[in-house]
Amino acid sequence: MNILVCIKQVPDMEASFVPNRGGTWFDETALSFRMNDYDEFAIEAAVRIKEQLGGTPEVTALSIGPGRVVEVIRKAMAMGCDRGVHLRDEEAASLDPWQIASMISGYASTGGFDLIFTGMQSVDRGSAQVGVLVAERLAIACVTTAVGFSYMAGRATVERELEGGAKVVVSCALPLLVTCQLGLNTPRYPTLPGILRAKKKEIVELSPGQAGMEKPLTRVSGFSHHVSRPSGVVLEGRLDELAGRVAAVLREKRDAIRRGGVR
Amino acid sequence: MEETREIFWNVGSGSIAVMYLLAVAALATMGQGFLRLVRNWRLGRQLNRFDRREERFVRFLADILSQRRVLRVPDGGFFHAGLFWGFLILLAGTLLVLVQADLFSPLFGINLLSGWFYRLFSLSLDLAGIAALLALCGLFVRRFVVRPEGLETTREDVLSHALLFSILLTGFLVEGSRMAVTELLDNPALARWSPAGHLAALLLGVMDEERARTLHTLFWWFHLLLGIGFIAVIPRTKLRHMFTSGGNSYLAPLGASGALSTIDLDDENLDRFGASTVAELTWKDLYDADACTACKRCQDRCPAWVTGKPLSPMKVVRQIGSAASQSPAADLVAVVTPEAIWACTTCAACQEICPTCIEQVVKIVEMRRSLTLMEGQFAGPEVRRATEAIEVNGNPFGAAPASRGTWAEGLPVSIMAEESNVDLLYFAGCYASFDPRNRKVAESFVRICAAAGLRVGILGAEERCCGEPVRKLGNEYLYQATAARNIGTIRNYGVKRIVTACPHCFSTLGKDYRDLGFDVPVEHHTTFIRRLLEERRLKIEPEAFDFTWHDSCYLARYSDIADEPRAVLAAAGGRIREMALSRNEGFCCGAGGGRILAEERTGTRINLERVRMARETGMPVLASACPFCLTMFEEGITASGAGAELTSLDLAEIIGARLIK
Repeated sequence: MNILVCIKQVPDMEASFVPNRGGTWFDETALSFRMNDYDEFAIEAAVRIKEQLGGTPEVTALSIGPGRVVEVIRKAMAMGCDRGVHLRDEEAASLDPWQIASMISGYASTGGFDLIFTGMQSVDRGSAQVGVLVAERLAIACVTTAVGFSYMAGRATVERELEGGAKVVVSCALPLLVTCQLGLNTPRYPTLPGILRAKKKEIVELSPGQAGMEKPLTRVSGFSHHVSRPSGVVLEGRLDELAGRVAAVLREKRDAIRRGGVR
Repeated sequence: MEETREIFWNVGSGSIAVMYLLAVAALATMGQGFLRLVRNWRLGRQLNRFDRREERFVRFLADILSQRRVLRVPDGGFFHAGLFWGFLILLAGTLLVLVQADLFSPLFGINLLSGWFYRLFSLSLDLAGIAALLALCGLFVRRFVVRPEGLETTREDVLSHALLFSILLTGFLVEGSRMAVTELLDNPALARWSPAGHLAALLLGVMDEERARTLHTLFWWFHLLLGIGFIAVIPRTKLRHMFTSGGNSYLAPLGASGALSTIDLDDENLDRFGASTVAELTWKDLYDADACTACKRCQDRCPAWVTGKPLSPMKVVRQIGSAASQSPAADLVAVVTPEAIWACTTCAACQEICPTCIEQVVKIVEMRRSLTLMEGQFAGPEVRRATEAIEVNGNPFGAAPASRGTWAEGLPVSIMAEESNVDLLYFAGCYASFDPRNRKVAESFVRICAAAGLRVGILGAEERCCGEPVRKLGNEYLYQATAARNIGTIRNYGVKRIVTACPHCFSTLGKDYRDLGFDVPVEHHTTFIRRLLEERRLKIEPEAFDFTWHDSCYLARYSDIADEPRAVLAAAGGRIREMALSRNEGFCCGAGGGRILAEERTGTRINLERVRMARETGMPVLASACPFCLTMFEEGITASGAGAELTSLDLAEIIGARLIK
């Protein structure tokens, strides 16, 4: 069995984003980068199947972007992926979902993948299109927003979360593409032996042309600064109780800031 | 009449031969027991504790002869010292008899044990025996009557007490039964130099010689067999500590205490990290388990244990010992339990008070390394989030790195990237950079520097967490990665010296980074401000105030900095009232060992306990010099409703408020 996991390196969302010179995306200087949260669920799902099947499936982690995205490919390999593919494009941030999908499907069509995992969406662009487009281009089944996944004898059973907490279970034969949602699993933290092994694993670097990048269908024409406005909380009840609750909220927020940790 | 006594009076030469045979057998049995222990210790990894031998030997002699480590806690310590000194003199006396009987008498025909020397010898040994017996009674009452909380009594303890008591008692009976028909009859003046034997003789009653000789033979054999048995059981019971604990005064680390080993991450042969079995600890860690006397002093002082967490440093050490001797392949982490392993604040109160120089903290950190590096485990989900935030953003808050230097806007500080011609680099650390309360400390500190005419630089956005919390939590990989970035950045600016207001940054940059090739001098702001005041480069207007001082573990215990902050605050007009636990015996705030990043889910909270101790002094100010302590106290004071009576301040804030404008 061959499994492909598509991952993206995204900026940490705590930063303040300013438009780039062309005003078409954000400026990347002074940002710190990390793996897209949803993609970690995708890696964990893939590695768990590999473990379930006694290590026989080969898991490939693929990422598109400039040189720095090797960091997330290494992390994916530290978590248990066997090999990495880096579709190197310094201008990847300016590509539209169709172009990204064209490269992934271009690469995937040569690899004979039975299962493809992607994140539900990226936390920076958030189009939630790439996984679906890849499945469409490969003409394989696609199940989105997976919060549960199991595999048995050629068939996958995927649990999907619907609005309002309802869930639906979808059963499907392979090949299949799954986009992963929060709640699917708790991704493992890479162990040191895993990190050291990952340093020795192969990363294949391909150019956009080699992967068959197509022309864009959409174009970002403007990006504006995000003005953060914290959501309000409405407290109701008796006046003497309210004062206590307000104090508790303030205390909690202050303590959270003081103690460190992302709470 | 000559003042001496006949050695081996009433003991036939046949008996003496048997005695020597038994002694040889006892020593052989003891040797065999120790060999078995040595084989256990050798299960552990290598570690050199035989360097600087002279220094080690001097410390060994000083420690055991003075009993200074045991005596630090009078309860138990006082009687132990009495027993030790008593037995030391008895041992010396016995050896003297051996030398006299087997060397001087047969070879040279000289009798050392005569005249004034014999009187002194006899009196010393009797008094030593009485002292040992009294001390033993004291220990007996303590262990079996008073029964201090947490003191575990096993069959070994009962056996040890019984053996020691009967050896001393039969010794006096041997002496008494001899004296009853010798000195007491033919040289009563000499008998006075053996008060205990004299008393025993009187208690045995006046008797005829034949009866005395029979009793003497009986007592002599009983005394001998007890002594022989005692020697044989030493390595097999807690009595082994007579060798192993003393030995630890030789083997304990010299210099910086609590130093963790720096893993060579480039070593391709390494594929296991930390300790999940005893074989992954060092031999010294296994030796420590045999040096432990279960005196529970560490447990009494462990902030985790005192506040109801499942961690007792003593139990950890003993669990390691049991595993090494009974089940070397056992999963040590499962035996000790992750809850206990994560509960440690690495405050080192255990190591500080341990009379036998056991290193508890490194063992716990090695097990944390196994949990973290081999299993990817965390003390809790909040710790994982903070760790990942340090990985990505270089601080545990997950704040954007770009905003790290914004606290300094409008203050007399330059960002190194813009102006690196400075007198000192202030390594602000995460808390002073991002936490609003600790930013005030940073402001005070840079104002102090400006008042002393010093140009201060900070790394700002280029600074990252020093790596201390994650290192103490076992994540050596992340620690080395973040350290390497800081070292590269600091080297890039050719920094000559660093000052930090955080004892954790101070200890990490100043000591731990040394293993990574970093050699810029690092100073903590307490000693730095002290020097500025002494050199009169900094002038302040003293203003009277009352305070109590909390010693940060990483200042007082790890770096021996306790006088300096007190001197600084005295110069500022402070009148101190100490808490019950202070200086190198201070009680942790609860935030060390990476616990600043973790919730306390079990027991009561350590910071509330420390705030309670501070309130007991009745002082209005709880002063300290650590951002973690300050954070814990702010939280603890609010939570215990003490806001009206107690204010938590950093030393820099107190000095900053007294600068001459």
